[in-house]
Amino acid sequence: MMLSRTADQLFWMSRSLERAENLARLLDVSYRLALMPQARGDKVELAVPMLLTGTLDSFHQRYPQLTPENMLNFMVFDSSNPASILGCLKNARDNAHAVRGTISAEMWEAVNATWLEARDRASRRHAYSDFFDWVKERSHLFRGATYGTLLRNDAYYFIRLGTFVERADNTARLLDVKSHLMSPAIEDSAPDYYAWSALLHTLSAFEAYRAIYRDSISARRVIELLVLQPDVPRSLCACAVEIRSILDHIQGETGRPAKRLAAKLVAGLEYGSLDDILEQGLHAYLSRFLADVHGLGEAIHRAYLEAA
Amino acid sequence: MHALTLPDARHHDEMLLASGAVRPHYQQFAEWLHSQTPAQLAEKRRAADLLFHRVGITFAVSGDESGAERLIPFDTIPRIVPATEWQMLEAGMKQRVTALNAFLHDIYHDHAIVRAGLIPAEQVFTNSQYQPAMQGLDLPHRVYAHITGVDVIRHADGQYYVLEDNLRVPSGVSYMLENRKMMMRLFPELFTRHAVAPVEHYPTLLLDTLRRATPKDNPTVVVLTPGPYNSAYFEHAFLAQQMGVELVEGRDLFVKDDHVFMRTTVGPVAVDVIYRRIDDAFLDPLAFHPDSMLGVPGLLSVYRKGNIVLANAIGTGVADDKSIYPYVPDMIRFYLDEEPILQNVPTWQCRKPQDLSHVLANLGELVVKEVHGAGGYGMLVGPAATQAEIEAFRARVQANPSNYIAQPTLALSSCPTFVESGIAPRHIDLRPFVLSTGQEVRMVAGGLTRVALKAGSLVVNSSQGGGTKDTWVMEG
Amino acid sequence: MKLEIRHETVYRYDVHAHHSTQYLRLTPPSTDHQRVVEWQLNLPGKASSGVDAFGNIFHVLTLDHPHDEIHLIACGVVETTDQPWQQSAGLLSPLVFLRTTPLTECDHALRQFAQPFAAAIATDPTTGLQQLAAAILDAMPYRKGETVSDTPAAMAFAQGAGVCQDHSHVFIACCRHLGIPARYVSGYLVTDDEGHVASHAWAEAWFAEAWHGFDISNAMTPDGHHLTLAVGLDYLDACPVRGVRHGGGGEELHARAEIRVIEE
Repeated sequence: MMLSRTADQLFWMSRSLERAENLARLLDVSYRLALMPQARGDKVELAVPMLLTGTLDSFHQRYPQLTPENMLNFMVFDSSNPASILGCLKNARDNAHAVRGTISAEMWEAVNATWLEARDRASRRHAYSDFFDWVKERSHLFRGATYGTLLRNDAYYFIRLGTFVERADNTARLLDVKSHLMSPAIEDSAPDYYAWSALLHTLSAFEAYRAIYRDSISARRVIELLVLQPDVPRSLCACAVEIRSILDHIQGETGRPAKRLAAKLVAGLEYGSLDDILEQGLHAYLSRFLADVHGLGEAIHRAYLEAA
Repeated sequence: MHALTLPDARHHDEMLLASGAVRPHYQQFAEWLHSQTPAQLAEKRRAADLLFHRVGITFAVSGDESGAERLIPFDTIPRIVPATEWQMLEAGMKQRVTALNAFLHDIYHDHAIVRAGLIPAEQVFTNSQYQPAMQGLDLPHRVYAHITGVDVIRHADGQYYVLEDNLRVPSGVSYMLENRKMMMRLFPELFTRHAVAPVEHYPTLLLDTLRRATPKDNPTVVVLTPGPYNSAYFEHAFLAQQMGVELVEGRDLFVKDDHVFMRTTVGPVAVDVIYRRIDDAFLDPLAFHPDSMLGVPGLLSVYRKGNIVLANAIGTGVADDKSIYPYVPDMIRFYLDEEPILQNVPTWQCRKPQDLSHVLANLGELVVKEVHGAGGYGMLVGPAATQAEIEAFRARVQANPSNYIAQPTLALSSCPTFVESGIAPRHIDLRPFVLSTGQEVRMVAGGLTRVALKAGSLVVNSSQGGGTKDTWVMEG
Repeated sequence: MKLEIRHETVYRYDVHAHHSTQYLRLTPPSTDHQRVVEWQLNLPGKASSGVDAFGNIFHVLTLDHPHDEIHLIACGVVETTDQPWQQSAGLLSPLVFLRTTPLTECDHALRQFAQPFAAAIATDPTTGLQQLAAAILDAMPYRKGETVSDTPAAMAFAQGAGVCQDHSHVFIACCRHLGIPARYVSGYLVTDDEGHVASHAWAEAWFAEAWHGFDISNAMTPDGHHLTLAVGLDYLDACPVRGVRHGGGGEELHARAEIRVIEE
């Protein structure tokens, strides 16, 4: 048993860190694509980070033009944008501060030092690609500290829950936005090759792809890998399986609706087939998935985080 | 050899005579001190700083939005209290706290002490700390102040005097515990040579006190904090963790069907005892300060029904108010039929015309305090003040005399302390903690020794640059 | 006089409120001056009741399911007497009512205003305090919309207008400054004017071992037309409804109190 507020702060601490990491992954690839001479549909491509975070309007209120420089500034170092990497790291730190007595000293130091240094790097306008690598490293460090030092009690499970709910959401959004930009028929064409392999890199799944398929990149397989493959850590299926298993560990009777939703999500992925997905359309499929994850997040909230 | 500054003869020094001779109860410690090199000790002090930072024993600087935190300086020379002195202090404090609890029960019930003419009615009932909501309310075991901090000082005459009682939300006990832990870690050899009374069981004793504060079996106890931006948040978190109970904020609690519940991941859990570290005015926005977001709406109604215990009770502030302080010796005689063991500092009440004229004529020699002030603010230390400061204060006292009391400038005792030049005497006070269950009044043998780090300064408050020392009560 | 009262209060919120807690002082007590014949509350949930330190009957209402409206109805029959308005002291020492509150603090202007009445009050408290009450109404005539429920006495006085709540606060502030314990009364008033709101506030001052009533806004001594709901140090202690909620956004409040004479 733990206070709902504490659980909520733990959950959002790890969600915010995971979000910062995913943003770094996404922006890293956008940044590289923007540097490539054959980059296509650049305006749309540039808007992706804002589309993903729902901040396009507030971007346009603050910046006159959609340029790579403005986009990166807004999404990385702009502290007035809560959806920026800096904003996510601050949110993670604030939540960690409130639950300092619940997390281990190593975890607190990891989150606190990350925020302090990020603020410092932001003021020095640190080089973007180094910064992205650094954010990923800090996220790994935090997960490592959590894994290696925290008692396996509800605190641990709410932290893990935040990570995987956020990750499921991010992977689905990324896949959705990217697939929009590509040929509707999901046929393999040369420019798409770069885009699909960039997506694999974003999600650290390039090596996994090679290991599993031992073949050139095809859209069908990328989708199969990132949606249905339970062994790829950032796939939708892997996230859903984790969420279900974490929920089983949390004490109490209030979580039934959330557990039911998680089980449904897993069943859909474990017994789903690529052909089914493509038949109903990837976008339609992902939209439904995102709605389900959102519903699951709400159920988790009602069950544990705001219990009246 | 350490660069040692000797105390002057106008103060009592805990360790040294003005000649430099060491008092008997410090003999062993002094020998050990001389066997250490300044470099060794400096290294230990650095280690202590580092450790305190790591553990996060800091206090938030009030009013700093960015949440800046700083360490309270810790001095490694302990304040040593001989066993016989402690026995007297302990007996005196228990007596005092027993009388104060009896006083609180009385002024919220039959007003016997007022009717007996010992304390003027308006001193009690018009006091802003007197809570009308408490009138006629029966508390379990008649305990109002479950936890009391009594501030004592030792004057130049070698006697202890009570400076003030703290019956609202006394803080500082976490430093008592952490300072001891630090000393044992840095200088384990000292504790094999000295029979120092242990303090480590304080959290256990506190939890026991809180659990016994309700007639309920197996009660649920929580610590209620205003939140991470409160200056004493570290202590709130520390005590909750040491006692193994939840640290809650107002928004974690709610009132329903005449009971208090906390919101948890397994649903609402009923709460029986709240160790609250929030002032009265903020406890229930429906009954007190309407803008408070720190409290629990409806809490007072549950309290009046007797379904929740608050430690300390609402309305204890009237007993530690500086305008009531002068009457504590009378309370001891009235309720206990005993003579006070511990003395009060002589106090002039500016609301009395005679006292006022004495105070105004002697501002340069006196310490003048606001009746409701705390934390060393709103006070004048005559001998240390400039003429302009004295005149400014005179105007304030004349404008509202009943808001002030005055006391002689006490020559707080000193204790050798590490300073830049080496070791020099610095003024100290002492705050032991008294726990009351109604059947028993208990203390751990120790307390928080605060030290004014500026040479000659008498202000020991941490908010004004004071530090702390470990307090060693020797076992008889 | 036998009076029938119906007091309806409705809060409407822009969006759902998750949780709300309210202190209700909507039940009149039987006093030296009034006898409650029957009374009932219609509330949207289970409420627990008690008596507070001032002797007021209160209910605590907690709603912990989402709601966008709170509808409260209090109604009943009360018999009042026309005897001179005097109430005996309760458990609390009247001296408690010498202390100021944020709503009843005197500023320099109020102190200067009150001081000249000191002599008259010392000679004959009733007359002196009636003169004070009359001077207050003169200095700040009854006018709606100039003040709100948390306007402090000094501010209302400086604005030179107010409603019964402000008149009572100013009167109380002056009394306390002059060393006379004074308290706030919330209640109902019967008027001939049909459209007039029946909710009302007045003040009581302590002298000659009793609480004496002063209806400042109506320049009269409270009588059988007045019915007490609750008393306290100021409006916050005595107001009929005081609540805190989480969520809900903006709020709309409709309150309507009707009072009818059923027996002269």
